[in-house]
Amino acid sequence: MSDLDYAISQLRSCKPIPEPAVRELCHKARELLIEESNVQIVDAPVTICGDIHGQFHDLMELFRVGGDVPETNYLFMGDFVDRGFYSLESFLLLLSLKVRYPDRITLIRGNHESRQITTVYGFYDECLRKYGSANVWRYCCEVFDYLALGALVVGAGSCVGETGDEVEVEVVGQYGEIVTRLKRTEQQQQSIGGPPGSGATGSARGSKGVNNGAVLCVHGGLSPLVDSIDKIRLLDRKQEVPHEGAMCDLLWSDPDEIDGWGLSPRGAGFLFGADIVKHFNHINNLSLIARAHQLVMEGFKEMFDSSIVTVWSAPNYCYRCGNVAAILELGEERSGGSVPWSAADRGAVVRPGPGRRYRVFEAAPQDSRGMPAKKPVADYFL
Amino acid sequence: MSDFQRDFLKAKLAKLPLEPPMPQNTPSLHMEMFDEAEEDEAFRDENFHFEVPSSPVASSSSSSSSSASSASSTSTIRASLFSRPTLPRRKSTAFEPLFWNNYFSSSLYLNSPSNSAIYHAYLTPPNSSGPLFVTHHGAGSSGLSFALVASEIRRVLPSAGILAIDARGHGETKTSDDQDLSLSTLAQDLVLMVNLTRDRSGWDKLPDLVLVGHSLGGAVVAEVAKSYALGNSVLGYAVLDVVEGSAIDALQSMQTYLSTRPSVFTSLSQGIEWHTRSRTIRNTMSARVSVPALLVDAGGGRWRWRTDLGQTQPFWEGWFVGLSKKFLEARGGKLLVLAGTDRLDRELMIGQMQGKYQLLVLPEVGHFLHEDAPEKTANALVEFYKRNDRSALVLPPKVSDMYK
Repeated sequence: MSDLDYAISQLRSCKPIPEPAVRELCHKARELLIEESNVQIVDAPVTICGDIHGQFHDLMELFRVGGDVPETNYLFMGDFVDRGFYSLESFLLLLSLKVRYPDRITLIRGNHESRQITTVYGFYDECLRKYGSANVWRYCCEVFDYLALGALVVGAGSCVGETGDEVEVEVVGQYGEIVTRLKRTEQQQQSIGGPPGSGATGSARGSKGVNNGAVLCVHGGLSPLVDSIDKIRLLDRKQEVPHEGAMCDLLWSDPDEIDGWGLSPRGAGFLFGADIVKHFNHINNLSLIARAHQLVMEGFKEMFDSSIVTVWSAPNYCYRCGNVAAILELGEERSGGSVPWSAADRGAVVRPGPGRRYRVFEAAPQDSRGMPAKKPVADYFL
Repeated sequence: MSDFQRDFLKAKLAKLPLEPPMPQNTPSLHMEMFDEAEEDEAFRDENFHFEVPSSPVASSSSSSSSSASSASSTSTIRASLFSRPTLPRRKSTAFEPLFWNNYFSSSLYLNSPSNSAIYHAYLTPPNSSGPLFVTHHGAGSSGLSFALVASEIRRVLPSAGILAIDARGHGETKTSDDQDLSLSTLAQDLVLMVNLTRDRSGWDKLPDLVLVGHSLGGAVVAEVAKSYALGNSVLGYAVLDVVEGSAIDALQSMQTYLSTRPSVFTSLSQGIEWHTRSRTIRNTMSARVSVPALLVDAGGGRWRWRTDLGQTQPFWEGWFVGLSKKFLEARGGKLLVLAGTDRLDRELMIGQMQGKYQLLVLPEVGHFLHEDAPEKTANALVEFYKRNDRSALVLPPKVSDMYK
């Protein structure tokens, strides 16, 4: 067994690997990532995942629900670390899978993949606690600087599944049961629900027609300084996430029910409305933007006539938020099975999205995760 | 009075603003007599460090020439580890009180319309279009808790004003019922004080307001923001180191904590020293300004707490229940600053991950984070104001406009 395979097997059982092994892994990962473009091109089929935040056991649950690497092709949209108790194991597992199967897993950067944020929200402390020094944290941060800022999924099919039905959106529970199915021909306007008992009411609406536009994946969202994907390609990404500017916005912004651009209450990035998304998608020939960054109690949320979707993959976030999680599967274009997006549709502002299957899942059972003790309460609070 | 003391006072007086009178019940200047010869000897001894805290007055003006006499008189004199194994032989000036007029331009006594209260607040008015930071301290504290932050804010943003109020039952505010510390009363008091300050200062309308509350004060500003009692003037509000979930958890152990505090001090300096040594306040300079307002002369060389915190227990839950919801729902920019680690409760955790407010965690500070790290706190507040300043808000053009 190679060192890498050994590291993967260690990490899969949630055991940290020795410091020299981390160093070696991070070195290899950097060599690989430096070759990647700011916007990595990914071929469908692919399974798109949102925030993980060190919830290792829930990441295992994600792989159980979505299939393992390399059988399933994955795209993780950042925020691997912080807040959860196993940021180190979660990130290093994903990174070692990346090094082992570079074409089967894509990692892009989230706002938590930063030195400043990780010193506050747990990853730094976790490394210090597990290794007694900050070296491992430092190696990981160097890798963060090389992560791509976004990905472009091409060749996604217009319908879900292999049947002849024109199913646009399918929501599947964690045991593979189909919860909701929306056919493309139906032009529905009703909301669809999550799996029974989850209390989820994720909203997704079908859109008319078919399309083979690409899907842009980015952690946060759009930036007023970026009107085309080519502008993202021009950024110099190999640095700490800046406090402002295009790179910051891509990792920090949120969509919101406003007109145009707005101030983000987060203190970084912007809010952007439906008009911005639709225009961006139109001029960049996108059918959908997939992003993460915001906790969605139902695991996923489509907005603005399905032109953008938030995917959140950390169930019961921080072990107490009570939310379910989701991953988004984009299928492959079936030969002859779909109608290519035609020139006649060019006038339409909203381009119909690809077929989307959301797999919704809950947190791993409590007993499987050996949670560290609760934080001590503050002694003075008046 | 020794020559040394005279020099010290001269240097101090030279720096005071000409206008503001001393408040009537200023604690008497508390100077320990010490042997001048010994002091000189100490100065000659090369094994002594002279740690010169930057005087807020000196740093707020452009002068870097804090004269030798004043610098040495406010310096902390510490024996270095090896040469002097015991404490210095004389009492140092390290824990002497400092006065409000180094930090604010006036001290206001505001009569309530019903004459049931004389509210007290420290004010530095804003320039023409500058914002006014309105601060509300926590339980048992006082307006002077924000003294250092106030001068730091002015340094970073010279047009800004600061109104640091003394709440009912605290500092120099006197009301007909100092025992009523319910959240609604405190919130009404705050709104009234802001409006009375406007009247007293002759402002046509309120300047842009940034409400800042520490601990209990955080609950008060969230209540005021949610009630919209100050209307559109409130640009945003900042809550310092209080979170509903963890505050409620901590309440059980609060009486135990309170019982560990000394009930009397023999001098103001001793009070300052206790706050510093117990690391309640980790910034001696701030403790020297803020602690004297927490103590009152009980006679016989004894100083007791101004506010009996144990007595306020019936109000504790009412202060904090519903705080997270109010904080998230009120109108205006929202900033939460926490000390050390983030102790968010479920509601704030969800809110944060949905991007509903700005969270800042300051490292290496205690609960009194604005006293421990006045510079960082002031920078954060000013940055928060600038972000939320409506007049300066320039958003990029809408994409739809760009392609018309």
